[in-house]
Amino acid sequence: MPSQLSFTGFAWKNLWRRRLRTLLTLGGITMGIGAFVALVGFSRAFETEWMRLYTSAGTDIAVVQTNFVKSELDQSLGAKIAALPDVARCVPMIFNLMDLTPDVNAIVYGWPADSYELDALTFVSGGRFHDGQRELILGQSLANDLKKIPGDTLSLEGTDFKIVGVYHGGSALVEGAVIMPLDQMQIISSMQGKVTAFHVRLRPVPPGISYDDYVKRAESEIEAAVPQVLADPAADRAANNAVVELAHSVAWGTSSIALFIGILGIANTMAMSVFERTHEIGILRALGWKSQHVILLILTEATALGFSGGLIGIVVGWGVLRLLAALPETGNIVSASVSPLHLVESLLIAVASGLAAGAYPAWRGARLSPVEALRYE
Amino acid sequence: MSSPLLEAQDLKKSYDDGRVQALRGVDFRIEAGEYVAISGPSGSGKSTLLHMLGGLDLPSSGQVLFRGAALGKTVNLDTYRSLQIGFIFQAFHLLPTLCALENVQVAMLAKHERSNHRVERAAALLEEMGLSNRLRHYPNELSAGERQRVAIARALANKPAILLADEPTGNLDSVNSAHIMEILEGIREQRGMTLIVVTHEQDIAASAPRHIRIRDGRIEA
Ligand SMILES: Nc1ncnc2c1ncn2[C@@H]1O[C@H](COP(=O)(O)OP(=O)(O)OP(=O)(O)O)[C@@H](O)[C@H]1O
Ligand SMILES: [Mg+2]
Repeated sequence: MPSQLSFTGFAWKNLWRRRLRTLLTLGGITMGIGAFVALVGFSRAFETEWMRLYTSAGTDIAVVQTNFVKSELDQSLGAKIAALPDVARCVPMIFNLMDLTPDVNAIVYGWPADSYELDALTFVSGGRFHDGQRELILGQSLANDLKKIPGDTLSLEGTDFKIVGVYHGGSALVEGAVIMPLDQMQIISSMQGKVTAFHVRLRPVPPGISYDDYVKRAESEIEAAVPQVLADPAADRAANNAVVELAHSVAWGTSSIALFIGILGIANTMAMSVFERTHEIGILRALGWKSQHVILLILTEATALGFSGGLIGIVVGWGVLRLLAALPETGNIVSASVSPLHLVESLLIAVASGLAAGAYPAWRGARLSPVEALRYE
Repeated sequence: MSSPLLEAQDLKKSYDDGRVQALRGVDFRIEAGEYVAISGPSGSGKSTLLHMLGGLDLPSSGQVLFRGAALGKTVNLDTYRSLQIGFIFQAFHLLPTLCALENVQVAMLAKHERSNHRVERAAALLEEMGLSNRLRHYPNELSAGERQRVAIARALANKPAILLADEPTGNLDSVNSAHIMEILEGIREQRGMTLIVVTHEQDIAASAPRHIRIRDGRIEA
């Protein structure tokens, strides 16, 4: 027989009574969760790509000046690091974000032509650049966006470079990047004799020591041999460098504000709804509902708002993420992928938001005296 | 000697810091299965008394004993209401957004019970009230008499020991009034329930086996 009334069914009916208000409230929490999925997802994908940048090339340690964004080291320090016993290879690099066209910006790297990091690239067409030449190579997805092939010219900071190769790389951060000879990069960015970082590949792990301990040992060796530098394991560098940290804090900051507004929306809606239903709550109490049941009802309604807003928010956030990945401005920096864990986390945050928002209205509803509520018209 | 079902001991209730004295010391005993009418002028404290008997409110002093146990002390008010009491009101107090069948079920939602049991019992009760063709009707689609019958079905939903009705016929014409009173008396007889009806209609009060008159918060001899 239909028309069975369950507790949650009753809660839904209550929400459905004020359709417009419920939809507007859903809009608020949807924005909050959507922002969380998109922005935090974006910043996490960014970190993942950063990590891949190191792992795909086999870089164990990155050596930088204390602050990565402004990091500037003397290129001559490289020889000191390379001479250390645990270090197999040490290559300098420059890294910068540049405008390629008014629409497209991309990461531009300066690597020496003999950098081991070039070994990690697979050439789709053309080949490597040469030191001292105005040559560069393009990641495949960037080359597609720019519609360039080897033999074409690309102008950077007023200098024309010849495209000599198009490659496929292990990270979106190289896949969508430009790589040119280190010396050329130093010229166009006025960094003669300077580099952003050294990437270090260690010798094979000796027996009797774990990889982590080995990396720690190498770090201390480097920091002892070369003062004023920070030697970080690749994983830490991926998570803690200033660019990723900035992305994380912008993402968390913005989505926290959006979520907070969403939570206030639910709280306001539920408080109004409890107020409007004062008389009804009195009836329910007279019918044998305990104050806990009133609390449960209000919390169920608030949680339903949070949960539904969360589901819609996930869809919206995912859509935004895909859009960001498709745009030329952002698509070259990061590839959009959302981990299931991130989605579960978003849904939990949505449910928790509903519970938090419903707590005070529920308490108010439960505290009403049954007789006073019944008399209320 | 065993305790009566309900016993009021020197019940007093005041509002607004004692400026309004709704009840000024009420004592009586009601045995299981009794049918008691309570009457009195407007403002004499009838509803206040009924609320106290039904565990909706606590007296300012004195106590109500249910089978010898003090309400609000030995007996939890919420539990008492949900297990022992069925309320019927003058203004019906149906939830406007629920149909008749759902209005009866809503009283049972506070209990752990299978939802198909709930809906079956709700349908059976409405059928007993002669409303089997009104199950899906909303309160605004029902006549006043039908609404009160839905409310009676709802009051019976949790199989209470005591039915408390506050002017159940106050919004009904004489034909409907007589019908509702007939139903209530029938329920009491068939189920052995205790029925306490507040009314200002003299013929209803006179037809009850026992009649308590209240004036100014006290029982008249
Ligand atoms: N919450 C309250 N605050 C202040 N005064 C109240 C409150 N509830 C009841 N009273 C007063 O207590 C007195 C008794 O009220 P009650 O509702 O019990 O009367 P009644 O006998 O049921 O009257 P009626 O026949 O009109 O329903 C009245 O004077 C009323 O104004
Ligand atoms: Mg009254």
